[in-house]
Amino acid sequence: MEFGIKPLGRERFWLWILLVPTLFGLVFSAFGSLLATIALSFAHWDLLGSPAWAGVENYIALFTDAKFLKSLANTAVFSVMYVPGVVIISLLVAVLLNRKLRGIGVFRTAFYLPAVTSAVATALVWNMIYGKDTGILNYVLELFHLAPVCWLCTSHAMLSVVIVNIWGAIGEGMIIFLAGLTAIPNEYYEAATVDGAGGLRKFFQITLPLITPSIFFQVLLSTINAFQAYDYIYMLTRQGQGDSNIPVVVFSIYRNAWNFGNYGGASAQAIELTVIVAVLMLLYFWLEKRFVFYE
Amino acid sequence: MKKIAFSLLMVAVLLLTACGAKTASGGPVQLSFMMWGDPAELTVWNQIVKDFEAANPNITVSVEVSDWDSYWTKLKTLLAAKTPPDMFAIDAPLYLDYQSKGVLLNLQPYLDKNPGMLDGLYPQTLQAYQTPQGYFGLPRDFQTIVLFYNKTMFDKAGMAYPTADWTWDDLRAAAKKLTLTGSDGKTTQYGFSFDMWDMEPGYSEAIWSYGGSILNADHTKTLLGEPAARQAWQLLYDMTFVDKSVPDSTASGQYGGDTFLAGVSAMTPLGHWVVPGYADAKLNFDAAPMPKGPAGRFTSVNSAGFVIAKGSKHPAQAFTFLQFVLSTAGQTRLAELGFACPVLKSIAESPTFLNQKIAINQQVFLDSLQYANIKPVFKGYDEWASAVGDGMAPVWSGEADLNKTLDEVVVAADAVLAKNK
Repeated sequence: MEFGIKPLGRERFWLWILLVPTLFGLVFSAFGSLLATIALSFAHWDLLGSPAWAGVENYIALFTDAKFLKSLANTAVFSVMYVPGVVIISLLVAVLLNRKLRGIGVFRTAFYLPAVTSAVATALVWNMIYGKDTGILNYVLELFHLAPVCWLCTSHAMLSVVIVNIWGAIGEGMIIFLAGLTAIPNEYYEAATVDGAGGLRKFFQITLPLITPSIFFQVLLSTINAFQAYDYIYMLTRQGQGDSNIPVVVFSIYRNAWNFGNYGGASAQAIELTVIVAVLMLLYFWLEKRFVFYE
Repeated sequence: MKKIAFSLLMVAVLLLTACGAKTASGGPVQLSFMMWGDPAELTVWNQIVKDFEAANPNITVSVEVSDWDSYWTKLKTLLAAKTPPDMFAIDAPLYLDYQSKGVLLNLQPYLDKNPGMLDGLYPQTLQAYQTPQGYFGLPRDFQTIVLFYNKTMFDKAGMAYPTADWTWDDLRAAAKKLTLTGSDGKTTQYGFSFDMWDMEPGYSEAIWSYGGSILNADHTKTLLGEPAARQAWQLLYDMTFVDKSVPDSTASGQYGGDTFLAGVSAMTPLGHWVVPGYADAKLNFDAAPMPKGPAGRFTSVNSAGFVIAKGSKHPAQAFTFLQFVLSTAGQTRLAELGFACPVLKSIAESPTFLNQKIAINQQVFLDSLQYANIKPVFKGYDEWASAVGDGMAPVWSGEADLNKTLDEVVVAADAVLAKNK
C-alpha cells in the first residue's frame, strides 16, 4: 500500500528543509544516545571518573547477575499478563462504546482519562485503593466476608501493578480499536442481520477478522510498553532504599546507572532490552503475514 | 526509560553548552551552589548569600535547590559533563564515593592558611570528612537521632513522658500501653514507629545499645547478623509482630510512611529535620534521649556537608563562601531555619538554637552527641544500604522470617562491600 503524494522537483527541496529540525533532533538525541549507550556498554563508568574499557564484562554480567536475571523474569511475567490484558479489555471497551448513545463522549473520555493523567498522581490514588487496612479494595472484600489481601506485598505486587498498568493503557487501546471499528462498513452487519446472525456471531465473524490490523498494531504497541513499564512500578512498589519488590528491567537499568554508579552495566542491560524487543517485533511481523487480514 | 533518555539528552546538551563557556579572570566572580532541600531552605540560603555578598562585593552566588532524588541525578550529570557547580552539598555517608573518584577539591591547603577555622566545630561532625590526604569537604549542620513523642497521646493515657532513664524495655512496655484498637479490632494508634529501611533513624541505635555493630572497622564485613545485633532485631520484630505496637511497613505505607506525622503513632526516633513539619502538622510533641540498652545508650550522628568541585574555576572564592557559612553569621541563619543543628558550638549552645520559635527540648539534640556513633561512612554506601534496607523489606511487611532473611541480607551486603573495595 502506498500513501500520499510523491514530492516533485522544488517540493523535494522544501521537504528536506522542513524535515531538518526533526532529523537533527533524531540524530543528536535518539541516535546519539543510542550510539553512546552501545559504546558505554563496553566500558566501566560511574559518571564521575573516565570510562575504562571493560570488554564484554558487562555482557557476561547479564547472565550472571542474579538481580538482573530476576528483573528480566519480572519483565517477562509482567508482559505475559499485561499484553493480552490490554488488548482484550480495550477491544471490549471499544466495542461497547462504539454505538450511538446519548453521552457516549462522557464514557469515552472517562476511559481515556488515565492516559492524560500524571502517573504519579494516579499511583497515589491506587496506593489508597490497595491499602491493607484503609484500602477501598479490602473494604469491598470484607463486605463479602473475604480475607483482606496485602496488595502491594511481594506476593501480590505483580498482579496489582499489572492491573494498574492495564487500567492506564485501556484508553489508548480503545482509541485505536474505535478507529478500526468505525472503518468497518455497516453493510456487512446489515447483511448479517438479514441472514439472521446474532450479536456474538457478528462479533466473531465480522468484527474480529476485520479488526485484525488494529489488534496487530495494539499488540505491538503494548509489547513495547510492557518492556518499558516503569512509572507505576516505581511509584507503587518502591521501598525505603529505592529498590522495588518487583524490579523490572527498566528499574534495574535506572538503579544501576544512577544509584550504583554502574553506567556500563546499565547500558548493556538497555541493549539487551532493545534486542529482546526487536526480536519480538520481527516475530510479530512474521506472524502478521499469516494472521492479519487487510481488506 | 523516559528518565534515562532525558538524562542522556541532558549530558549531550551540557556537553554542547560547555564548549561555549568562557573562563573569567579578575573582576566580579559568579559562584554556583547546588543543594538538596525544600523551598523553605532556599529562602534561608538566599538570605545567607545576601549576607555573604554584602561582605564580599566582588562575589555573587547563585543557589539551586532540588529534591533529594533529582539532586543526585543532576549532580552526577553535571560532574560527568565536567561542568559541576562550584560548590555542592554532600551527605556524609556518600562523601567517600565522591572523594575517592577525585571530583572534589582538597581543602587542606586552604585550611592550613586559616588555622583555627575548625576549632569551634563539634569534632564528631568533622570526623566523617577526614581522609589521610586531609579534608575534601566540611560539615555545615548535623543531625542526632532523638526520641520524639506525642504529648497528647501520653496525656490521654495518663502516662509519664519518656525520660533519660528509659531502657528499650521501658520503651517497649510504654509502646504496648499506647497502642489502641478500635471496635472493629483494627489498630487506631501505635505506640512506636521507626524507619525500618534506614539504619540512621531506625535500627542502628537499637543494635549499638545491645552491644552489636553495623560493620567491622575496615568496612569489609557486615555485622548485622551477629548475636548481639540479632537481639536488637528481635526486639524490633517482636514489637511489630508480637506486641503489634509498631505498624508494619504495609500499615505505615497507608499513612505516607511517617505515622508520627500522621498523628497515629506516639513515639518515633528521628532527627531535627522533622521538627518544622511536625509543628506545621500542629502536633503537640517533644523530644527525649534515646533509651538505654544492655550495652549502654547510643544514638547516631550524621552531618550534611558541602564540598568544592575540583573543576571549579574559583576555588579560593568558593572557600570564602564555605568559611562564611561556618561563621557565626552563617550558622546563626542556619539555626533559625530549624531543620538541623548548627555545627558551630557557640551558636548551637546559644539562645538562637536553644530558644527557637518551635519550643521543644533543643538541648537533647546537642546532649545526644555525647553518646552518638557516627553513621558509618564507606564506599558503595548506596548499594549496601539497598541490599540491607530493601533486603529486609519482606520481614517488615510480615512476609519473611527474620533470621533467615538476615542470613541472606548479610551475604548480599558483604558482596557489595567486596565489589567496592
